[in-house]
Amino acid sequence: MIGVYREFEGCMRLAGYVLSRLPVLARPPVAESLTRQIYFTGASATAGIVLRGAFIGTFIIAYVIDVLEADAALAVKILLWVVLREVGPLIAAVLVIQRSGTAITTELALMQISGEVTNLRHMRIDPRDYLVVPRVVGVALSTAALTFYVQVIAVGGGMLLSALSIDASLGELSSEFFALARPLDLVYSTIKSCLFGAAIGLVCCYHGLHPPGVSINAVPKAAINGVTQSTLLVLLLNVVFAYLVFGQAFFGLVTAKL
Amino acid sequence: MSEADSSAAIGYEPLNGGGGRVWVPLGGARRVAALSEHSRKRLVSAVLDVMPGPGTRLVLLGVDVEGLGPAGRAALRDRIAFLPADGGLLSSLNAWENVVLPVGFHSPARLASVEAEVTATLASLGADPEALLAKLPERMTPYEKNLIGYVRITLEKPDLLLAEEAQGELDSAERAAAARFPEIYLERCKGGTYVQLENASGPQGPEF
Repeated sequence: MIGVYREFEGCMRLAGYVLSRLPVLARPPVAESLTRQIYFTGASATAGIVLRGAFIGTFIIAYVIDVLEADAALAVKILLWVVLREVGPLIAAVLVIQRSGTAITTELALMQISGEVTNLRHMRIDPRDYLVVPRVVGVALSTAALTFYVQVIAVGGGMLLSALSIDASLGELSSEFFALARPLDLVYSTIKSCLFGAAIGLVCCYHGLHPPGVSINAVPKAAINGVTQSTLLVLLLNVVFAYLVFGQAFFGLVTAKL
Repeated sequence: MSEADSSAAIGYEPLNGGGGRVWVPLGGARRVAALSEHSRKRLVSAVLDVMPGPGTRLVLLGVDVEGLGPAGRAALRDRIAFLPADGGLLSSLNAWENVVLPVGFHSPARLASVEAEVTATLASLGADPEALLAKLPERMTPYEKNLIGYVRITLEKPDLLLAEEAQGELDSAERAAAARFPEIYLERCKGGTYVQLENASGPQGPEF
């Protein structure tokens, strides 16, 4: 229990540090590190992540429409509420954890064990400035971008599938979708996915810089800690965020009374 | 503070008067031999943390660190550099990126002007700058890693450089080039102190 509290406190301190040190991103080596992180998480992985995300999103829509025997109005609501607001950001976050979260934790844990983090200190560079700040910001921005791609393709795929499986044209579905969608939905999912990305980056960097040992065995342990805890944190943030913004959590089982 | 303290680049001594005393005068190149790995690490750690260990006293660049606050220690630390045997490189960066990392971080305005200086230093030490600067650390020999770490430090122009020799067998050309490290450092950093850390089996220098 004390260990969990320490890790939580450590992540919170790291978050405070990152927020207070954002100007360091203007320094050339840190800016380069940010660019690499965005390229790795947001660009080089785009095709795979977006295709997988879109497939999962479309599959969910097909399944729900089939089970609920949905009409055009319900299909559009499902697309909006499930894919745009919830599944899109969650799928992107889970795929980012799988790919970038593991990579970040493993890389930092190896750097810590091999003494490269100490080398940075010898150069009078705070490892958090060079290693953590660009990764957290890079993963946050990339997760938001990936979420947008997943949403566009999953909603598009979902609409196409709905048009094929229910008695409604694609034009009818899309006009109903755009009538129902609000700018808040996009703002909500963008902020939420940024927050997911930042949380993933923070937790994975924390565990990478604090591996549970000094031998090579500590690297996979750090990766497991980083992945499991960032997944839990993303799910928790999703619930808290839904409750704060829409006044409901756990699919309406918990409702805010203001 | 005594006259001896004010002229010491490194003054490190146990307060109980036991063995392990190190005194290196300011300016020039010196060799210091450590009796054990433990005592070498203790000295490096004390110098880089600007913090004497328990029961010891530390003078750096003529300043007794005992009376310094955090800002004073940080200012003193900015004048000190350490060259580990393996060069202290980051494995994910190539040699050029490793060389310019501290300069880019601490004084980005200088970045545009360092390329010529790096190339000249490497050429004067007999290396092929173009080929070497494109290499990743995993493709470098132990000497090349040490050399790249050294070039990186010369750009920082520290007042005190604590250096370890490259590990492993060096060929005669590499040995000759490595022997010129202190000379080139002292040309670049007037009044600086180059301290070569060696094991007790090394040729010269006071032991501690």
